[in-house]
Amino acid sequence: MTGMFFSYIPGNSLLHRLDPRSKIIGIMLASILIFRAMSVYEMLAIGVVFSILFLLSSTTVKAVYSSVYPMRIILIFIFTIHLFFTEGSSILSVFGMNISYEGLLKGSTVTLRFIYLLMFASLLTSSTPSSLITVGIERLLRPFPLKVLGISSFDLAAMMSMSLYFVPLLHGSFNDLKDAQLSRGLDMKRHPFKAMYSLTVPMIRVAFRMADDLAMSMESRCYQGVHRTSIFDLRFGRMDFLCISIFGLLSAIIFFMPVLQDF
Amino acid sequence: MSIDIKNLIFSYNRSTSLEKHALNDVSLSIKKGDFVLISGEVGSGKSTLIKHMNGLLKPCSGSVEVDGIPTHKKDIRSKVGMLFQFPQKQLFGKTVDEDISFGPANFGIKGNQLKKQVHEAMDLMFLDESIASVSPFDLSGGQMRLVAMAGVLASKPDYLILDEPASGLDAKNRKILFSILKKLNSKGISIIVVSHQISDVLPLVDRLFLIDSGKIVFKGSPDEYLRSTNLYLPDIPWIMKELHDRGFDVKFDIFDIDEAFYEVSSLLNPQKVDEQ
Repeated sequence: MTGMFFSYIPGNSLLHRLDPRSKIIGIMLASILIFRAMSVYEMLAIGVVFSILFLLSSTTVKAVYSSVYPMRIILIFIFTIHLFFTEGSSILSVFGMNISYEGLLKGSTVTLRFIYLLMFASLLTSSTPSSLITVGIERLLRPFPLKVLGISSFDLAAMMSMSLYFVPLLHGSFNDLKDAQLSRGLDMKRHPFKAMYSLTVPMIRVAFRMADDLAMSMESRCYQGVHRTSIFDLRFGRMDFLCISIFGLLSAIIFFMPVLQDF
Repeated sequence: MSIDIKNLIFSYNRSTSLEKHALNDVSLSIKKGDFVLISGEVGSGKSTLIKHMNGLLKPCSGSVEVDGIPTHKKDIRSKVGMLFQFPQKQLFGKTVDEDISFGPANFGIKGNQLKKQVHEAMDLMFLDESIASVSPFDLSGGQMRLVAMAGVLASKPDYLILDEPASGLDAKNRKILFSILKKLNSKGISIIVVSHQISDVLPLVDRLFLIDSGKIVFKGSPDEYLRSTNLYLPDIPWIMKELHDRGFDVKFDIFDIDEAFYEVSSLLNPQKVDEQ
């Protein structure tokens, strides 16, 4: 399943060694900042924070790029929509549609926000195995009274890890299937509809079969869905406190940047 | 008319930290009409090798040509049929007929010719005409596999590659499968079987390639393989060869347990066997 976007890259960098919980909290802080950022300065500051984190991880530029690149069509779509449908002073006219200065600015900001989100997410996923992300989320959710809603954080974690384990499996089956249909002369560019049909129908069958097999094997091993301890022992160390503090401080500075600018 | 592979080198995830060498300087040639077995351990590069033969993978270096046409041209896919492991997974048509005609229709065959080829392929796989309008998902697992095979054969390939065709088949169906392959081969179609199980297929083939860690470690006829000294042999030929090497007068190109029993018992008691 290698070569997939958002896949884990083994390593021993600072980011690899951090507790998954601190990384998840970090991502949450970063997301708040990203969605709040409006000005060029804030965007630049987030860029600087990302670069520092990037240098602290052993992630490659290629890995980050490969998590943004598959989303290019959505990104281009978001950008174009903002470009053409924002009211403001017109700077250019294409096909009778006006491109405004405000549209250009807003389009770039919104698109950049998404790119930042993807980039930060790729930092998390490239430095943390999916199993640890799941454990981290489960631990973070544990203090919340989800029981009232009839949800147990263990069930959530189990579901999440199962879905994550299915990704590479389904990806593998999909590649096998694609090879089989290509060998039967399928031309994806010339007949996109036929391609979709000949790939999705067997894929759905495969997915259901896999889910069925998993359910059966869980049942045969008496899975009850009760509180289970995790094989991964999480330790929130001194480094985690330090990193979270620094990151929190940086976030606070960026968060209050618009206020500071007014002085 | 042949599949020619020259100095093929291939690695997955090239120029990344996850780079994995799969094939290393592989050269081989498979002529039209050959019946070939490619064998090796799991992960030795068998599947990677055959995916080069119809252009699903492109060589990192070296060349792969089918009848003189390099494999990056898509037309070669109609010449090389590929049947993957558990081919029943690839079925998707609303009817058996639709599924089998998928391949040939993709290669531009229309109308009566298409009908004829679908019919012929179903005939070859012993599929009754009455199931043509049935949904393939209503069939039994074994029949689904036959439909999938017919779907590959309907394009009338010159070369047929089968990846572990016998996996999941019982002894009876395995015999049927190999008799079908033999029949296809007698019609001039090259058969390339990929399998880690040597003993089933070896009596049928003209030539054998053994792959280990992405390298071809043996090419030759089954006879040369059985006479080799340093290669792993299936149980029965191994026993017979050991007996032969220790000076007993037995044939050693034997794969069948009954034949082996006859050989050994005739050795122990020649008269009794003659009387029988």
